[in-house]
Amino acid sequence: MSVHVPAPEAGSAPPDSAPLLSVEGVTRHFTVSGDRIDVLHDCTFQVRRGEVVAIVGQSGSGKSTLLNILGLLDKPSGGSYTFDGVDTTALGEGRRSWLRGEGIGFVFQQFHLLERRTALANVAVPLVIAGVPLLRRRARARELLESVGLGHRLNSEPHQLSGGEQQRVALARALSRDPGLVLADEPTGALDAASSTMIMDQLLEQARIRDSAVVVVTHDPKVAARADRVVELVEGRTR
Amino acid sequence: MLRSLMAGIVLAFAGSRANVARTILSCTGIVVGVGALVLVVSASDFGQRFATAYSEANAGRPATLEVSVFEETITDRAAFEEDLVRAGGRDVSLYQSPMEPPSIRSGDTVVTEASFTGVDPSLGDIRRMNMLEGRWFTDADTGSLAPVMIVNEELAAAIGDLAQVQVGTDHWMDVRVIGVLESSALDSGWYSAYILRSPASEELIFGSGSSDEEEESEAEAMYAMGVPTTYQVRIDPEDPAADDPWGEIFTERLGSASWRWGVENRESLSSYRSDYAEMTNEAITYLSLALMGIAAITLTTGLLGVLNVGLVTVRERRRELATYRALGASRFTLFVAVVMESVVVSLVAGIIAIAGCWAVLSVGGAVLGSFVQLPDDIPLNIPPAGVLVGLGSAALVGLLAGIIPAMRALGASVVAGLRE
Repeated sequence: MSVHVPAPEAGSAPPDSAPLLSVEGVTRHFTVSGDRIDVLHDCTFQVRRGEVVAIVGQSGSGKSTLLNILGLLDKPSGGSYTFDGVDTTALGEGRRSWLRGEGIGFVFQQFHLLERRTALANVAVPLVIAGVPLLRRRARARELLESVGLGHRLNSEPHQLSGGEQQRVALARALSRDPGLVLADEPTGALDAASSTMIMDQLLEQARIRDSAVVVVTHDPKVAARADRVVELVEGRTR
Repeated sequence: MLRSLMAGIVLAFAGSRANVARTILSCTGIVVGVGALVLVVSASDFGQRFATAYSEANAGRPATLEVSVFEETITDRAAFEEDLVRAGGRDVSLYQSPMEPPSIRSGDTVVTEASFTGVDPSLGDIRRMNMLEGRWFTDADTGSLAPVMIVNEELAAAIGDLAQVQVGTDHWMDVRVIGVLESSALDSGWYSAYILRSPASEELIFGSGSSDEEEESEAEAMYAMGVPTTYQVRIDPEDPAADDPWGEIFTERLGSASWRWGVENRESLSSYRSDYAEMTNEAITYLSLALMGIAAITLTTGLLGVLNVGLVTVRERRRELATYRALGASRFTLFVAVVMESVVVSLVAGIIAIAGCWAVLSVGGAVLGSFVQLPDDIPLNIPPAGVLVGLGSAALVGLLAGIIPAMRALGASVVAGLRE
């Protein structure tokens, strides 16, 4: 793996610098068959650039809902969510999509790679959406896959890759636009112990190189232990 | 907006390429519908070009009138021809069958059933002459000491050596054959020849003798045998007389000074529009429109097929579409991607249909060519309009069939899609 960009250590951002994201009193409820279900209650926390934060909690505690709000895939019912200095609460769908594409990378538990498309094509998808010209996006996708150790699997399709390799392709895709924030939803949940360690190593290393913040939702104490800070969700409340 | 549009198009192409089986399945109905449309357009175009060429070769270019004098004789042919021009004729040519059809021979070969017509060089301006060999008549040929003749392909083949040709009724006369006309599909098998009107051919066309009295008696004899005096006249297509298929306007103009050429009864004059390309083309157009209606119905079933596949795949691809959204694709990008996938599928179908039509027309042209002789300059192929109609209708069907699945895709929850 080649490292060209000197970057500060993870979590080395000065404590008084402006947060990359700020969640203030966020609530989220759903209405199902006329019944209101409160999932998040008054969640408040901040994440700074370069910081690694683990969100932990039991199943049904609202981790995924919170992650969807952080990823601008969902809107809070109350409170405010500021990302990169922009209050996202009142943003329209188009602006939220743009902000998501520009500033947030996703790593999913089930990888969510596009079937019947090569690793190179998968990594290039965010670059297509960003309007990067063909040659530049191919070069960029190749560079990213090489950086996660998959330079020899550029033209492999997802079904030809192991779970760990698929997650590395997903990681390369998440980093393709150098996002300020990487959101990882149980990134090691579908992997064995060795692959889990490798993925976390690469996730944290690549984030460190880019000075990106990482928010990891996990059940795995080993993963949580590698974070700078842990936010615990208990029945929809942050602790 | 432009970036979203381009991204949608690129994603659509990638999606279509990645789902070849689905693409091919969706294509079938459109291939049949577009193929039917392209075939109708191609057949219509061929029919119109062929009808036009045939009409121009055998009945005259647009706005050609055939003018005849029945039952009376023209005493002054020069005055009559002047009046044909005065009545609006741009090009005037004699078009006269001989009173007594001559036979034609070369060496020992004699052909008796050939059709002869006495004409002027200007007939080449009135009709389309497809020369297989040699040339059409010129004014200089009227000075030839021997009658000058052009025969059609069949007659040339029947008489063999064209260098020593003789024609005649009661005695043989040497003639010069200066050209051979290509036969068109519908007149193949007929023996026909044009004889240039000249002092040398007067006897052949109008019978023997040269005095006025004799001419008059010959004309009377021609009338007695039921042979009218006939001319081909081409007028300005913008002339109101060109819109009169029964030639009443032109006949009225011509008859106003009929005393100059000895015709007393205007009822003896007749003219009618002889070219028929316009009429044939109109009939072909109506027939084509009816057939295109049927093809459009077929295409509609293709549209429903693509729509159905589109709806099913949008449902199957919720996770993929949600992933696009998570990676920053806007709703507009996703809309364009889904619609464009449908358009790409349809365009692929359109291209397959056009290729299929090309193959069918190539085979069809070869088969047809073995039965009838098709003019070389009117090949049976897909015209540019056929390609445009094929690709245009395919793209339109794709667009229409893609909108509903695209709306469905936009309405789906991203969060729910990512959970699948």
